[in-house]
Amino acid sequence: MFDLLPDRVPWYVVGPGLGLLIVGLFLVANQPLGASGAYVQTASLIRRGRDVAVWRVWYFVGIFAGGLLVTQVLRTGAEMRSGYDAMREVFPLGFIVPFVFAGAVVMGFGAGRAGGCTSGHGLCGTAQRSLASLTVTATFMATAIATTGFLRLVTGGDL
Amino acid sequence: MARMNTIGLLFGMAFGGLLAAANLHEYDTIHAMLRLDEPDVYLIMASAIAVSAPALWWLERRGVITTFGGRLSLSRSLPERHHVQGGALFGVGWAIAGTCPAPALVMVSSGAMLGLVAIAGLFIGLHLSQRTPAPAALGDGEHREVVSV
Repeated sequence: MFDLLPDRVPWYVVGPGLGLLIVGLFLVANQPLGASGAYVQTASLIRRGRDVAVWRVWYFVGIFAGGLLVTQVLRTGAEMRSGYDAMREVFPLGFIVPFVFAGAVVMGFGAGRAGGCTSGHGLCGTAQRSLASLTVTATFMATAIATTGFLRLVTGGDL
Repeated sequence: MARMNTIGLLFGMAFGGLLAAANLHEYDTIHAMLRLDEPDVYLIMASAIAVSAPALWWLERRGVITTFGGRLSLSRSLPERHHVQGGALFGVGWAIAGTCPAPALVMVSSGAMLGLVAIAGLFIGLHLSQRTPAPAALGDGEHREVVSV
């Protein structure tokens, strides 16, 4: 709406900003800033489970709302689109939908097994100097880079 | 507690806003990172840890009392088999879907509708992982004891 933010705020602003946010949530709630746990709590609330951390559901909503604020209000505003521009140049949409879905299921299953994701283990766990989180982070970095390389290979360098 | 819900919402908004600011919700950003074409995302992760790790170490050593969670305590588990298995699967899925749990939400708020496909898959994958015989994996990511403050 307002075009106040550059297309890409540089890493040396966003990175330390995320670092301060991690410290902030520990100072307030003694909890790591993650994301997959918020999915679990949200699903649990919808299924009317017991012992739901309701604040994690508000946090889940907040991530969406914060994205809305930046992409639609502080920037010029993005229109409805498919996303995945680089992938759409290589694959038809009819392939992308099941492909992304399958990838997300595998990712969700992995996050559940590992007990966290890129933010939970990758940022907060390593910031706590947890060996378990370091192991998870090193493992997912390695398999993600290898998988990307493999995809690049089978698409003849297109993806 | 109502105040904690407000705090959750605000922290979520700041988190989602920062992810959007760095375009981490775009498939192309994550894909370029994993193709090793751009260092930006690695620098974001490294600088976030460089800021938070020493601060958390110092705050824990000082025995700081947090607003809602008692004394600040960091959690440092030892790696187990499920960490390696889960991490390996997570990485494969991350590379394919080109987004992870928090950026997928921002993807949708930025208008990219394929983000809904990713979110649906994440819910299903997380659900399936909790149905496996092993107890719901607790780790130093945020899947630890439920705090309903």
